[in-house]
Amino acid sequence: MTEQSRIDIRSVTKLYGAVRAVNDVDLTIDGGAYCCMIGPSGCGKTTLLRMIAGHETPTSGTISIGGEDMTTVRTGSRGTALMFQNYALFPHLSLTDNVAFSLRVNGVAASERRDKAREMLDRVQLLHLADRVPSELSGGQQQRVALARALITNPKVLLLDEPLSALDEFLRLRMRVELKRLQNQLGITFIHVTHTQPEAIALADQVVVMDHGVVEQAASPRTIYNRPHSPYVARFMGGQNVLTGTVQSAGAEGTVVESKDGNLYDLPPIEGAKPGDTANFSVRRDRIQISDTKGDGRNCTEGTVVNIEYQGTFVKLALETGTREEFIVYLDDDAYYAAPKAVGDKVHASWAPKVNHILVGANNSTGTPYED
Amino acid sequence: MSQSTTNRRGAAFYLLATFFALFVIFLYGPMLMIFILSFQGPTGGLTFPMRGVSTHWFHDLWTSSRYGDLGGAFRRSLVLGGLSLAITAVVCLFAGLAFRRRFWGAGPIFYLSIVSLVVPGILLGLGISQLFQLLGLRLAWWLSGLGAHLSWTLPFGLLIMFAVLNRFDGSWEEAARDAGASPRQVLSYVTVPILFPGLIAVALFGFTLSYDEMPRSLLTVGAKNTLPIEISNMTTNVTTPALYAIGTVTSAVSFLVIATAFITIAIVQKRRARAKGKSA
Amino acid sequence: MSGRSSPSGGSLAPYLQVAPLAFLMITMVGIPLLTVVLLSFWEFDGIAVYPAFTWANYKEVLSSPVTLSLFLSTLKYALMTLIATTVVGFTCSYFLVFHVRDLRVQIALFLLCTIPFWTSNVIRMVSWIPFLGREGLFNSLLMQAGIIDQPLDILLYSDFAVVLTYIHLFTLFMIVPIFNSMAKINPNLIEAARDAGASGWQILWGVIVPLSKTGIALGSIFVVTLVMGDFFVVRVMSGGQSASVVSAMKNNIDQLYYPVASAMAVLLIIVVLLMVTAILRVVDIRSELAR
Repeated sequence: MTEQSRIDIRSVTKLYGAVRAVNDVDLTIDGGAYCCMIGPSGCGKTTLLRMIAGHETPTSGTISIGGEDMTTVRTGSRGTALMFQNYALFPHLSLTDNVAFSLRVNGVAASERRDKAREMLDRVQLLHLADRVPSELSGGQQQRVALARALITNPKVLLLDEPLSALDEFLRLRMRVELKRLQNQLGITFIHVTHTQPEAIALADQVVVMDHGVVEQAASPRTIYNRPHSPYVARFMGGQNVLTGTVQSAGAEGTVVESKDGNLYDLPPIEGAKPGDTANFSVRRDRIQISDTKGDGRNCTEGTVVNIEYQGTFVKLALETGTREEFIVYLDDDAYYAAPKAVGDKVHASWAPKVNHILVGANNSTGTPYED
Repeated sequence: MSQSTTNRRGAAFYLLATFFALFVIFLYGPMLMIFILSFQGPTGGLTFPMRGVSTHWFHDLWTSSRYGDLGGAFRRSLVLGGLSLAITAVVCLFAGLAFRRRFWGAGPIFYLSIVSLVVPGILLGLGISQLFQLLGLRLAWWLSGLGAHLSWTLPFGLLIMFAVLNRFDGSWEEAARDAGASPRQVLSYVTVPILFPGLIAVALFGFTLSYDEMPRSLLTVGAKNTLPIEISNMTTNVTTPALYAIGTVTSAVSFLVIATAFITIAIVQKRRARAKGKSA
Repeated sequence: MSGRSSPSGGSLAPYLQVAPLAFLMITMVGIPLLTVVLLSFWEFDGIAVYPAFTWANYKEVLSSPVTLSLFLSTLKYALMTLIATTVVGFTCSYFLVFHVRDLRVQIALFLLCTIPFWTSNVIRMVSWIPFLGREGLFNSLLMQAGIIDQPLDILLYSDFAVVLTYIHLFTLFMIVPIFNSMAKINPNLIEAARDAGASGWQILWGVIVPLSKTGIALGSIFVVTLVMGDFFVVRVMSGGQSASVVSAMKNNIDQLYYPVASAMAVLLIIVVLLMVTAILRVVDIRSELAR
């Protein structure tokens, strides 16, 4: 199963007039993987998904599924099934007929397709509603029908276009679990487009972060979250503070970077870095301590508390440090309430040198930073 | 879905309701009157009082030779209406689907349709009849007449189709293609069934607009007249309640068609949304 | 409908789909109108029409003092009908949208207003004759009530009868677009205006009228063009005493003066198009239709 549901995207570009919706993308999605494509709206993730589904044709480049070139193969005969954002259930057909639709267009006999559709509806626990029409269902039920309709074709690849965005928070979390379980059972490739970071992190084996038609980073969720490629990825995925400084000394033992306000940071070696270069790096928000007294001036920053949010398991502190972005610190709630701060307090934040992570990529855009 | 914000009806409501009621009487009153007068007794005249009640004038219509070829005109109008219905529904369906995308010439075709609505009908009739004359073609109700009717029904049908397609989600078609449907299957399994109530509305316009069309027909039907032309001739020649009788007959046909269309739409809608109000 | 093209549809599809409409519109509207324009430059010797290029037809039409009075009387009818149908159409739509609470009742009443559209105009016109005539219902009612001694002659075969028939025939062309515009107004806007302390009249003039503008404009186009294009109502209901541009044109056609009729037609189209453009200048209808 895994080999025949692998997807290879090679130098794919999609132009809408002069707009490059997808720009020279190379991407491999392993067979049987749960892949989440994430990015701000207009980043090209949906276009890429629709090209895999065959609803758009790339302007150039190739898309292979299971090693077979599918770039121009008609949708519906390339082993993919797309679940639409608004589900696109046929309003005039009963649930049975909705689910049986692909069997009907492929000439399966009425009684056989009816049985298969009912079997599939049973699987998504909607058999008791088999004769209803979609408008009589709740959003969560509609979503399961859409899923059943997509899966009845036995696709090698299931494509999901923001499948959870129309659901309320509670249902979203439940369906998330169901999707993951289903993917484990079926063992086929899922490609799931989303704009919600926790959704991508929680579900995916592989997260693809996109911006302006380009894949910024494609990696496991842990890598994306801990070792973002560029300032953009760090900001977009959240959980990191992005800092900038000038290289003071570079060598095999490490790089020392100085920030505008004179603090020094010990970074791992950067290949090809010379003193005077600009370096971006990130610091995880939950690996930072604060104190009232100034430290040794290394791997630290000072700021004024501008906001305090209690988040249940931790406390989120926003510091104004004189840069464009607020510096965010997540503190353990017990530790914080032992010595609480007030808005306007001046605090010193510091962290261990190993927390510093170099951001190699050049994309320094703000994106739409995710705040949790 | 209450639009009004106060719970008690104010004086404005009753004032407006009265105005509306008067308007409805104004709209239907005169028609009702000729329906009644068409059952005028044999000695009765064009106005009240009724001199007995009879179906004399209906019989008179079909038996007397005074009224020309009414039966033939009636038949021709029904045929033209049926043709317009079918052609309008099919042509406007496809044109409406085409106009969802941008294509070269979309603007000129749309504006030509609007021009056809705006231009005085008899003028267009003059153009069509003269064009046929220049081309050496004979005017015939089933060719030039039908063309003139279509110049009237198609633009209306197109505008209705636009309104219908406004509520049509293109992803239904994509979902069908995704399931492997061919273009023909998409059309017959998804697009047409979903649009069906709207198509009935378009067809209704196609029939009734053609069936009642007069100014465009006048110069284009050739030697054989349609019913509205016969009736309009009767308005100046006939001074008996037979005029009202033919009015009653032709209006009855119209109402029958309207009722059929409405009932069909209602049945389709009801079957689709059995759960009340869930689909807005 | 994201405007994206789909490969299975192909880029040729819209052309094939629109081809029948395009063919019919070009052959039955475009070319016939050009024929009328062409004909207006041809010569007529009292018996037959000859291909030529002459301004004589236009000179004849424009130099005739009758032409101006025809246009003026047609415009007079159009204006009177426009005012009356706007007032009636706006009032009825306003009642339906903002005072009828049950949506189903609202739709039912709306359909009640539109059903006559699908019936014969000729019959609806004829139906006024037993009402307005010398021995008609209206006169006998007035006489019974003792308001008048002699039946009124001006009821039928008069300008009054013409305009009344126009109002009867064309008001629903006003109601439908205004109703549509009003139905799109978010009720919250009215609430917000009320919260801000606006009175009923202020809401009407400050919120509802401006937001119904598109509907009024669309309705005005329909009513103006319908009145300007009519020859039948004005001929029958005025008893042959009044004329309009098109009824004069019809007379020319009946006498086979095709080139002169065509010249009048071209002038009329120009006037109608100018009026429509003027209305479109005030309100952008295309943006409304696109919604």
